Amino acid sequence: MSEILIKNACVCDPAQGINCETMDICIRDGKIVDSVSGNAKVIDAEGKLTMAGGFDGHTHSAGKINVGRFINPNDARKNLVPGLSGQVARTEKTRAQVGYNTPNTYAIGYRYAKLGYTTICEAAIPLLAARHTHEEFKEIPILDKMGLSLFGSNWQVMEYIRDKEPEKLAAYVAWGLKASRGYGVKIVNPGGGEAWGWGKNVSGLYDPVPNFDVTPAEILMGLAEANERLQLPHSIHVHCNNLGKPGNYATTIETMKLFEKVKPSRDRQSLHVTHVQFNAYAGTSWRDFETGAPMVSDYINGANHLTFDLGQVIFGPAVTMTADGPVEYANSRMLHEKWNNQDIELEDASGVVPLFYSPKSFVNAVQWAIGLELALLVKDPWKMMFTTDSPNGGSFVNYPEAFTYLMSAKRRAEVISGFPKMALDRMVLPGIDRELDFYELAVMTRGAQSKIYSRPEKGNLKAGSDADIAIYDILPDQIDPATEYAKVKKAFSGAAYTLKDGNVVVKDGEIEATPKGRIYWVNAKVPANIDSTVQKDLDLKFKKYYTVSKSNYMVEDMYLENPVEIGTEGVF
Amino acid sequence: MQVVKLSLKKANKIPIEADNVNPDNFAGKTAEEIKAILVWHGNGQFPLGDLFNVEVEGSDSVENTKIVFEGDVSRVKRIGQNMSAGEIEINGNVDMHCGFGMKGGKVVINGDADSWLGCEMTGGEIILNGNASYYVGSGYRGEACGMRGGKITVNGNTKDYLGEHMCGGEILVKGNVGLLPAISNNGGKIVIEGNATMPASEMKNGTVIIKGEVSDLLPSYKEEGTEEVEDVTYRKFVGDVNVGGKGVLLIK
Repeated sequence: MSEILIKNACVCDPAQGINCETMDICIRDGKIVDSVSGNAKVIDAEGKLTMAGGFDGHTHSAGKINVGRFINPNDARKNLVPGLSGQVARTEKTRAQVGYNTPNTYAIGYRYAKLGYTTICEAAIPLLAARHTHEEFKEIPILDKMGLSLFGSNWQVMEYIRDKEPEKLAAYVAWGLKASRGYGVKIVNPGGGEAWGWGKNVSGLYDPVPNFDVTPAEILMGLAEANERLQLPHSIHVHCNNLGKPGNYATTIETMKLFEKVKPSRDRQSLHVTHVQFNAYAGTSWRDFETGAPMVSDYINGANHLTFDLGQVIFGPAVTMTADGPVEYANSRMLHEKWNNQDIELEDASGVVPLFYSPKSFVNAVQWAIGLELALLVKDPWKMMFTTDSPNGGSFVNYPEAFTYLMSAKRRAEVISGFPKMALDRMVLPGIDRELDFYELAVMTRGAQSKIYSRPEKGNLKAGSDADIAIYDILPDQIDPATEYAKVKKAFSGAAYTLKDGNVVVKDGEIEATPKGRIYWVNAKVPANIDSTVQKDLDLKFKKYYTVSKSNYMVEDMYLENPVEIGTEGVF
Repeated sequence: MQVVKLSLKKANKIPIEADNVNPDNFAGKTAEEIKAILVWHGNGQFPLGDLFNVEVEGSDSVENTKIVFEGDVSRVKRIGQNMSAGEIEINGNVDMHCGFGMKGGKVVINGDADSWLGCEMTGGEIILNGNASYYVGSGYRGEACGMRGGKITVNGNTKDYLGEHMCGGEILVKGNVGLLPAISNNGGKIVIEGNATMPASEMKNGTVIIKGEVSDLLPSYKEEGTEEVEDVTYRKFVGDVNVGGKGVLLIK
């Protein structure tokens, strides 16, 4: 039995409504408890800001990021955030680290831990490539991991939707999650991945997918229905159609409206819309491009059935990676950039393109503003997760920098002062003076994630929760984040302590220990008779079309380290 | 003037990474201090004094510091990496990445150089009196910009991919070059006095002058009359049209 007592912690735990109150936290055997014995090891937090371990709900950290590493060997040398990027020699406790946007697996674990993060969700696992994703997960130390499996342009999915067989669809989704050891349903540009196989795209919710006679709206509704039928812990996780195109805010709102009639089967949202920054563009072309954030946030303020994450842009080099093949093709042509395209057989298409966000480009400046506008115009922080869609909007190592934008109008004004004049007319950010406090920040980086992913033991400091804790070198009552943003950034860049399951993994911004994290995956129960008919359909699919056999497809248990199987009961 | 003379204690098969060996790091230091500087040898770090005999004459600023390698250092890499001033003279062959990212000063090599000579250099001068291998003045893998300034003079021949991704500066080769010189160039000037094969593919900008024979000229170049440079008339080609390039390729 190991016991720890964290004394004099200035706790900020929105799940319990605790807003920077000094108290003690007790830990026994990796869990938070109400009290410990006198033999407990004592950590004196000295009044520093203490939160649950951070939880990044949408990041690309295994799988496609490896393609990013291939096409960006130069990224290995980039050191834009000293201490959290670039080449770092191995030490007695850590392995060698390289990279900025596409760091090696070890660096991902160390760097997240230094920021006080303890859990991440990889946002896109192609079923066919799941085994490799889990191999990478295995090499990311410290963090707990989960991944969302891609279903949005999958032949089997579209066929069951076209043939109106919702029960079989649900059974297929359950099988797909099991085959990929995934945690939830990810949908990227529904229908667009298949259309891209024919050099095309879908332009909105009601464009039929070539050869399948289904529309993106039907795919979304069908998968949402399957998701609720299986009572999955996370709602469907949607990357909307028309991403990255001027005027796409209308498609985004249309997609959100579609879900007003979907009834969630658990205490959570029925729709999660991801990296909304890339989907909140107004105007009709890149010439008259402007922010659509006010319209999108207006709708979100009046809606209670959805959550979203930001996809905040960070200036400097980034690498876009998405299962949206056509958008990546367009990016590479427009930017004259190198690119990679992957065709995931019957399931998806994806692409990787490096790019550079420059504050001198009016489009990039407006993109930067849109993320912050969404964060500040949406009143309820429980509806959003803070992300950069790392590394699409920029690397996660810039989170501390981004927090200063959220917490300080002065800091935003400083950045905006460097923008071209044209950009200022296209954004509403300069007129927003809202500044978030530590409480709201804790909601957006931990609390909301716990709710959105139905992981009650994460993102809070209630008794019974995992003892994943971050202590930052800030005395909340003695600092004004609106003016002292440099101190805020420094503190969030290297936690005074990060605890993972009650183990000190970071102390004074340095890695202390590198335990192995868990893998969460969902095993949804499906009646045997439905499953067996679906298996027959699948056998045929594999025989006819796949380059691999079904038995070579499933991720076996040996690929999972410390797996946590989450069972759900399907309603059939 | 400060002169630092270095000679290998014994020939090494396992490479030494001498990225610390430059005038910026040596200026004003005594022999003992220089001997204590750590360099990588294989997978371990060792004091320079373990591997080299070090002699120091005088003590001066970076600009007035000269490092002389006596004898062959064909397994010593990254000599002069990131140097900003001063001079390095190498009396023998040198390994890869010599003068990588150099910002100023001068490197003279009285022997042959291996690949990646003067990559991503932004200033200063490299004079190579022997032959060079691949990727002279190019960029690191994946990088869109190679050499950005300064001058490289090669008195011998070079192999393939001379000045790949070059964005500025000047390269002069007195001998022949291999395949695809000036590939993907965005700027700068390359003068080749000898022969070249398939020059300037995917060039967007910059100037390439070839005085010798050109074999396999790419079809993606448009001929636009002639141009005179230093009293010599060249045929002028513009391209590479495949990438909408405005580079100029002058051939006799």
